[in-house]
Amino acid sequence: MADYAFSHRHLLGIEGLNRLDIETLLELGDKYVELNRRRVKHADTLAGRTLVNLFFENSTRTQGSFEIAGRRLGADVITMPIATSSVKKGETLIDTAMTLNAMRPDLLVIRHGSSGAVKLLSRKVDCAVINAGDGTHEHPTQALLDALTIRRRVGEISGMRVAICGDILHSRVARSNVACLNILGAQVRLIAPRTLTPPGAADWGAEVFTDMREGLEGCDVVMMLRLQQERMDGAYLPSAREFFHFYGLDADKLNHANPGAFVMHPGPMNRGVEIESGIADHKTRSLITEQVEMGVAVRMAVLETLAKNAPEPGAAK
Amino acid sequence: MTGRTVIHNARLIDPATGRDETGGVLTENGVILDSGSAISKTVTADVKIDAGGKMLAPGLIDLRVKTGEPGAENKETLQTASDAAAAGGVTTFVVMPDTDPVIDTVALVDFIQRRAEGVAKVKVYPAGGLTLGLDGAKMSEIGLIREAGAAFFTNGDRPVEDAGVLRRAMSYAASFDALVASRPDTPALSKNTVMNAGAFAARLGLRGTPPEAEWIALERDLMLAETTGVRLLADCISTARSLAAVERARKAGVKAACSVASYSLFFNELDVGDYLTYCKVQPPFRTEADRMALIDGLKRGVIDAVVSAHDPQPTEDKRLPIADAAFGAVGLETLLPCLLSIAIREDIPLVKALRPVTSGPADLLGLPQGRLAKGAPADFVLFDPAAASSKAGSCAHG
Repeated sequence: MADYAFSHRHLLGIEGLNRLDIETLLELGDKYVELNRRRVKHADTLAGRTLVNLFFENSTRTQGSFEIAGRRLGADVITMPIATSSVKKGETLIDTAMTLNAMRPDLLVIRHGSSGAVKLLSRKVDCAVINAGDGTHEHPTQALLDALTIRRRVGEISGMRVAICGDILHSRVARSNVACLNILGAQVRLIAPRTLTPPGAADWGAEVFTDMREGLEGCDVVMMLRLQQERMDGAYLPSAREFFHFYGLDADKLNHANPGAFVMHPGPMNRGVEIESGIADHKTRSLITEQVEMGVAVRMAVLETLAKNAPEPGAAK
Repeated sequence: MTGRTVIHNARLIDPATGRDETGGVLTENGVILDSGSAISKTVTADVKIDAGGKMLAPGLIDLRVKTGEPGAENKETLQTASDAAAAGGVTTFVVMPDTDPVIDTVALVDFIQRRAEGVAKVKVYPAGGLTLGLDGAKMSEIGLIREAGAAFFTNGDRPVEDAGVLRRAMSYAASFDALVASRPDTPALSKNTVMNAGAFAARLGLRGTPPEAEWIALERDLMLAETTGVRLLADCISTARSLAAVERARKAGVKAACSVASYSLFFNELDVGDYLTYCKVQPPFRTEADRMALIDGLKRGVIDAVVSAHDPQPTEDKRLPIADAAFGAVGLETLLPCLLSIAIREDIPLVKALRPVTSGPADLLGLPQGRLAKGAPADFVLFDPAAASSKAGSCAHG
């Protein structure tokens, strides 16, 4: 594993990665889980390197997770407050990128509300770019942390049946997870009303269901998605309570999954909309806080791996 | 061109008559005196041009060009658009009324004509706004603007949503036998979208325009054309089903013509690829099945006009995340290369492939050009098809 060459300059999405790429990151993630559980959680892998967090969309957990990951590896971490920056003064996204690039960061973590925006920025900078979520496209570190969580709890992902439920249409988490779980050999199911199912989702290598009880039959893991109300222009759903009735995860619906099936959620949760509190806080079946813990570890793995691939300063572009 | 000029040793392509023969054309004072196999270098003329066996066709006519003049000259002016047209073999084009101010009065039609006379190398005709300010509420002075020289009437890229307004405007336009062009679109379905709806857009996480946005508006337009009797140009149709709808209406006696953007014949939705903002256009690149159906329409001669849909945008409006980027791409210089490369690949005779950019649009507008006929204006394009088609790949880029 130590010798495996991760042949990517950036982490823009799960698409484009192969099984070995993913497994290498997960194994390194495992190592960092152990470090993070020690009293002194410090490594100097990234000592002297600069990590810039660039969040064009508000985020608490992902931004914090990357900050902690960077600091634990010894990097200098700067989070740019975009809300008050020159972007508001009309500077274009590319100008912002060029400006930051001139400050010579080594790693740039970007979240942006437009699909494809992180890829666009990655073409304009010399450092490694990590996609922390772009529009409704991809959120690769979320998929990796989910895979790490499942792997540590259940073991081999290959052959496992995983259901992803809720607002698939607006979810970058769903897109990255379908790709990641497919590569790792899981059987993926998507459960949503038609208005929240992307066109062509059946061609993603997932089975599509509109009936949640039917969809959950035989599932080992149930991933709930946040109902992205702020992304909805209009009425994709009649009401939150109707959504909860048909697609909210409660004990009754969960009983249709395999006995002991695990429950996951990328957060932040809308309790009582997509998930019942009793399930979200379930001591043995909910992996939701564990996902957050794995998030830091997997991001450390990603930062370390990409930092290794960064070109030497002054190297020909 | 003054005096007598002969261009000889050319392969003449005249879609109006279906002629494809070796010969020449003889012109005097900018008008065709004669053309055909009998015209050779022995004809008496002041200027003799040896075409070296290259192809000579009527200069192209493009029914859909947007410039930024007046109002957004940083995008394109009549002069730069005409330079691009001349470079691409387009000798006549129609400018859309979506300018600032909108071309919706006699004075604005007059302004475009005078400006073009001063700066343009090619013939430029303005299209008149169908409604005042393209607001979709009140019809413009269709009769007067037509008299002033507007080629046709259209609301450009702002579809008339109110069917009552459209019905009355069409009905009124029919009194003057004016041509009404309408790009079928249903904003309720297409607003805030970036590309064709479907599996590929969903995978990219982009909002797509479903083809129903085009179908619904097109069926409405065809019905209103039927009941009002207006001559309708279904502008830039982009799907197989739209072409079938136009053909069906035409069979039923509706005076319906259709145009297709050259990019719709050349690209499909997958070409949007890695969020290429230069491929963000309206209507969007559709499926491969749609593209092939439109090419089949070209082969069968049921597409009246192929247009460049030329709509240049400044770099700063394109180098953005695709959702924020402007719609539009250049096309004047690549219209001919695009058609030639399709003709070569799909084995379509040139007299057929070039009809929608010559006699097809000329007939729609009642223009004398677009043909190698006696008395027609001496507007030609001379080209080497193999060399020209190699430029087609840059179609819609930049």
